[in-house]
Amino acid sequence: MAVVAPAAEEGSPVLSVENVDVRFGGIQALKGVSLYVRMGEICGLIGPNGAGKTTLFNCVTRLSTVTAGTIRLHGQTIETLPPRQIIRMGIARTFQNLGIYAGMTVLENVMLGAHHLSGGRFVDALMRPRRSRQREQEIEHRCRDILADLSLEDVADVAAGSLPYATQKRMEIARALASRPTLLLLDEPAGGLTHGEVTEFGALVSRVREAYGVTVVLIEHHMGLVMSLCDRVEVFHLGQNLASGRPEEVRANPAVIDAYLGRSR
Amino acid sequence: MNGTRMFQSAPAVLVASVALCLPVLAPDFMLFEFSIAVSYGIAILGLNLLLGFSGQICLAQGALFGIGAYTTAIFNVNFGMDPIVTLPFAAIVTSLIGVLIGLPALRLQGLQLAIVTFGVASAFPQLLLKMDSITGGVTGLAIDQPMAPRWFPGSQELWLYGLSLICAAASVFMLSRLLRGDTGRLLRALRDNPLVAESLGVNLTKGRLAAFAASSALAGLGGGLFCILNGFISPQSFLPMKSIDILIGGIVGGITSMAGAFIGAVFIVFVPGWTTAINPALGGLIYGLCLIAMMMVARQGIAGLPIGRGLQALKHLFNKKGLSRVSGAVPGQLGGE
Repeated sequence: MAVVAPAAEEGSPVLSVENVDVRFGGIQALKGVSLYVRMGEICGLIGPNGAGKTTLFNCVTRLSTVTAGTIRLHGQTIETLPPRQIIRMGIARTFQNLGIYAGMTVLENVMLGAHHLSGGRFVDALMRPRRSRQREQEIEHRCRDILADLSLEDVADVAAGSLPYATQKRMEIARALASRPTLLLLDEPAGGLTHGEVTEFGALVSRVREAYGVTVVLIEHHMGLVMSLCDRVEVFHLGQNLASGRPEEVRANPAVIDAYLGRSR
Repeated sequence: MNGTRMFQSAPAVLVASVALCLPVLAPDFMLFEFSIAVSYGIAILGLNLLLGFSGQICLAQGALFGIGAYTTAIFNVNFGMDPIVTLPFAAIVTSLIGVLIGLPALRLQGLQLAIVTFGVASAFPQLLLKMDSITGGVTGLAIDQPMAPRWFPGSQELWLYGLSLICAAASVFMLSRLLRGDTGRLLRALRDNPLVAESLGVNLTKGRLAAFAASSALAGLGGGLFCILNGFISPQSFLPMKSIDILIGGIVGGITSMAGAFIGAVFIVFVPGWTTAINPALGGLIYGLCLIAMMMVARQGIAGLPIGRGLQALKHLFNKKGLSRVSGAVPGQLGGE
């Protein structure tokens, strides 16, 4: 199914993925996939396991390399940048199986999110300790604000590995926010959460979008969350675009029902 | 948290106090051996940063130690520089060579890197013999040892011991600057999960090479100090086994503990001698058993031993008194190792 680029009046696309192919050896993981994400929207990616949703995230964050096609952020092509540049472009992500540092404290994890803003200066750390300390304090201050905003301030100094799963997921979002992103990619943020936690999580994501002015793309299997939270849903199937539209449109789409949602719904 | 910090700094306070009390407690010849241990301790400090914090193994630390020693000796013998003044140069020269050794580390990790670096350690003594025009070959190099100034009240050994402690303190000071804040976090991040680190914007190449540079600088400083303490060096002091000794010192002391680096150094300097004193014929056997026992009792190294015990004792204390305010509010707070 062809995906039409959004018209200009609907808001400029933050992220545009055009005809992306990804091949791992003999396996074609993505075949001509396109995706347009507009400024400020929450866009859901759904589809059966193996549909290529996470692969697409990996392409955008350059952990996987596209075989063909282009990926643009604010009109700038990013599909050939080194992976560490992606966060500098304003894209932050969370990982499906958590990319947290279990041995570090929550605060340290979150401060790593701000690493790209002023970090990695070994010579400064050695020779200009006062300046480094000042920079460190600024970052710590900002990160503690983010922690407080996400109700994580009580666990700031606790090792991340000892926290409950839901809290770790929240921390990963805090870390993503610490990088001052314009685009937030959440890979199954509600996976493994209890029913109450999922509702809470939806509220968190929509609040984060308002408060931090981010555009959100989320991969999610929890249909209740997707339908209530997303402005637009993009359905993937077997490495291709299957359907796209507002949640209620997608839910009524017979192709989506066949491939993913099932008849009983 | 403050409690935890206190327990973490306990070995450091202990090591520092023992180091400062030694001149009163130990005779001069012991002081000399402790000075040698301090010079190894500085090289182990470098390995702590490299292996403990950035997760890269280097079995060439003994060779780098030797490069520092030879830099000091050559600068002194050829240019007549005061040996103490050569120490920063020893650190810088070794650091540059360390970065060269670190280049393969960008592609190789783990066991492959161990073999590559051990190759450097194996080649080093031969290289020294071949370059005999500047290294003095088998005969080695003798330097002008810095003498205690006239105003100094103690012995020559005490003077050199003081110099060693100053070098050690400077090393600890510089290393702690690197290990706190963003640089310390990025090293641990690339150690624990390079993929996630990279997606957080960490420059893996720069981080890994910086770790090699800093680690080698410390090895070089330790080596330069070793040269000053001995007054004489030859290829015999820098055989491949030295690199293994330094690794053993690092692990036995506790690979992520600065205090542990010096504890480990004391271990590798004194314990082989003690085991030989117990039984001259079975010294190696007893030392070997010592190492095995060490790893069974203290997996986190000697410096990790009192911490673990201390924390457990603390936990028991809180549980007995039912201070749920501390242990209950934040589950797992004291649960870290």
